[in-house]
Amino acid sequence: MFAYAVKRLIQMLVVLWAVSIIVFLMMSFTGDPVFMVVPIDATDAEIAQARRILGLDRSLPEQYVLFLQNLVQGEFGRSYVFRQPALDLILERLPATLELVLVAMLIAAVVAIPLGVFAGANPQNPLSRLIMSGSLVGISLPGFWVGMMLIFIFAVELRLFPSSGRGATVEFLGIRTSLLTTNGWHHILLPALTLSFGTMAIILRITRAGMMEVMRQDYIKFARAKGVSRRGVLYGHGLRNGMIPVVTIFGLQLGDLIAFAVIAETIFAWPGMGKLLIDSIYRADRPVIVVYLMLVALIFVVVNFIVDILYTMIDPRITVK
Amino acid sequence: MTLSLSPLRRLMATAALALALTAVSADAKQLTVGLTADAVHLDPQAGEELSSNIMFYHIYDPLVRRTADLEFAPGLAESWKLIDDTTWHFRLREGVKFHNGAELTPRDVVFTLERLKESLMSSLGRNIESFSEVDERTVEIKTFQPYAVLPNDLAGILILNEAHVTEVGDDEVDMNPVGTGPYRLASWTKEDRLVLEAFEDYWAGPAEIQTVVFRPITNPATRTAALLTGEVDIVQDLSVRDVARVEREADYEVITRPSLLNLVLALDFRDQSPTIPLDTNPMQDQRVREAITRAIDVEAIRTAIMNGLSTPSEQYVPASHIGYLPGASFREMYPFDLERARELMEEAGYGDGFRMTLDATNNRYVNDQEIAQALAQMLSQIGIDLELNLMPRANFFGYIRVPSDQSSFIMSGWDVPSGDAGSMYGAMFHTRDVRDAYGRVNRGAYSNPEVDALIIEADSTADVRQRHETLQKVTEILMRDIPMIPVHYEQDIYAAHDRVQFTPRTDKFLWAYEMDVAE
Repeated sequence: MFAYAVKRLIQMLVVLWAVSIIVFLMMSFTGDPVFMVVPIDATDAEIAQARRILGLDRSLPEQYVLFLQNLVQGEFGRSYVFRQPALDLILERLPATLELVLVAMLIAAVVAIPLGVFAGANPQNPLSRLIMSGSLVGISLPGFWVGMMLIFIFAVELRLFPSSGRGATVEFLGIRTSLLTTNGWHHILLPALTLSFGTMAIILRITRAGMMEVMRQDYIKFARAKGVSRRGVLYGHGLRNGMIPVVTIFGLQLGDLIAFAVIAETIFAWPGMGKLLIDSIYRADRPVIVVYLMLVALIFVVVNFIVDILYTMIDPRITVK
Repeated sequence: MTLSLSPLRRLMATAALALALTAVSADAKQLTVGLTADAVHLDPQAGEELSSNIMFYHIYDPLVRRTADLEFAPGLAESWKLIDDTTWHFRLREGVKFHNGAELTPRDVVFTLERLKESLMSSLGRNIESFSEVDERTVEIKTFQPYAVLPNDLAGILILNEAHVTEVGDDEVDMNPVGTGPYRLASWTKEDRLVLEAFEDYWAGPAEIQTVVFRPITNPATRTAALLTGEVDIVQDLSVRDVARVEREADYEVITRPSLLNLVLALDFRDQSPTIPLDTNPMQDQRVREAITRAIDVEAIRTAIMNGLSTPSEQYVPASHIGYLPGASFREMYPFDLERARELMEEAGYGDGFRMTLDATNNRYVNDQEIAQALAQMLSQIGIDLELNLMPRANFFGYIRVPSDQSSFIMSGWDVPSGDAGSMYGAMFHTRDVRDAYGRVNRGAYSNPEVDALIIEADSTADVRQRHETLQKVTEILMRDIPMIPVHYEQDIYAAHDRVQFTPRTDKFLWAYEMDVAE
């Protein structure tokens, strides 16, 4: 277990290093950040001054080495645009994105898993067919369209929910969250629902497939024969064994949602970190992009590590090596 | 969209109204503004874009104030006079207070200018050579050469409080700004809301609206939705496709005004042009330049691409500017006329046309990509095979930068918020590389000794009237030479609830101090 964790940690460092190199190389093609900062008619002296202030007066390899040196000391670089530490900018916006993603995952799980179990246990039932076609729609609908429709129906026409923004926040364990206020939930539901659609459909389909597979197994029939109730068989024996692929997908989806939150964030003017990434790409603000991508890579690796550990809890036959 | 939900909607509206009635208690006036983006800085010397600029002018004041119609009026300086051709004395208003209670002194102005020189925004003070405190109410500013429009430049420089900036440090100014402006920062949750509250001791009297909330809503459709649901009272940059929708609502109005941003096409004057596969450069011939101008149907761009929301440009600067020549218009001198354009190409010996590339952005100006495509189609009518080289703005401005070695024909925007054509003419039309600071943006390498001489003449007088007349002569020559073809001014579009009293400003800087809301 310990050796496994160390191995994963080394893998993680390699991934992060690769991400940093790729982003540095990529950014050398996307234009010179200095021209995003100085006025169009800037003189050479003004441009030189801006380069000096931003630390862009060195060559790209030099900048990269400097970046690595700073990284080792826990310095992640400063945004060219905001003139603040890039990591602070991201961490400031991280709670908003995370709460959006968590609520979206929650909605997806609460809706999808029972429906998936039902559809998997009763494949011939007309209701199951309806659920499955519904999930196809969920996969196919583009998120921004769903978001706009939700705003149009629930905000503009019915006036049930606000169209945009994050609600009142309170500080909890040092993190500002809107999940502890009614106003906060009022604001988060539409964007979280928008974000959850794709995941909901995928989880539903995976749960159903897993259930169908498991329900054919002999031990299910045996449990029924032994007199275990249908409900007990479904959730106690069936779901537990059908869950392995669902947990895997859950982990992957969590990473995906963090990455894709930007669409819901943009539509609902949600103050998360996805919007920061888009703005930063727009402004060629390399330090922010590098740190953002490294952070997302880190989240992916950590979530997958947790997923691996979870396997062993769900299925004792699996061990991590 | 024809979903019919009205009975249900009425029910909901009643419920919402009941809720609202219980919620509203204080009678302090509040305004919520939907902006396209969050401010990046609240330190006016750390950078600038529209959202930050809007905040700057709420929190800080300049020495000279730019009015909504681009007039220049006393701000923190109550008066100024010329001592000699390059020396100005600005007399500060008495009893002006900063948000921290400190009184404005000439020291603050000197500190602001010193700090500016070392900052990223040093270009704002590029015409200023030196500055000093003369007495307890007067600041002396010297320019490198006689410069009649120094007060206009000063409208862009916002005065900081020396004691505060020194105390909190440069990095803190963004989150903890102190100015003399009509509003002070109450709170700022990045990307969510920035709240300003009226400053009671404002020198020109406290603002009517006590609390102003700015909400960044990037997606245009959401911005419209937030307006219609009453979450915001006024929005900036209403999407063109939502104009009709908002106009249908009884309680809302759409407000438009031409912006200062002139979309211009720069033509190459060099002997050989980078993207034209010929031994000569056809555009050196005035007839070819005229033909190109006549082949561009600006009116069609306005109706077909801009949905009527653009104003075809008459000249390089709008009528409000120093150097504008009344009565002269590109649209009358060179009206759209394909017949005549083809004749001119024939006369110049390019009846078969030629090939060249247009460099343009695809995310900087309203419909820039569509306009570029339309230009290609229009110029094909006179045999010019126009290839499009479109790129995002992060790449564009470095790519086209003088010496513009890769460009023949460039579409870009130019605005002159200082209200003076001189800065544009000096940067864009003075011969390159002969005088420092002149011709820096002369991407087509246009060179006319007469124009150079007149620009220098304008920059050597401290008399605004004389500068105006000299620059008008430049305008006349430029319109004959066509170093650049002006296309149109974009339209600024706002939408607001009826209870908001709002007149848009030429410089796009929404300013709550000039606004009011009905009770």
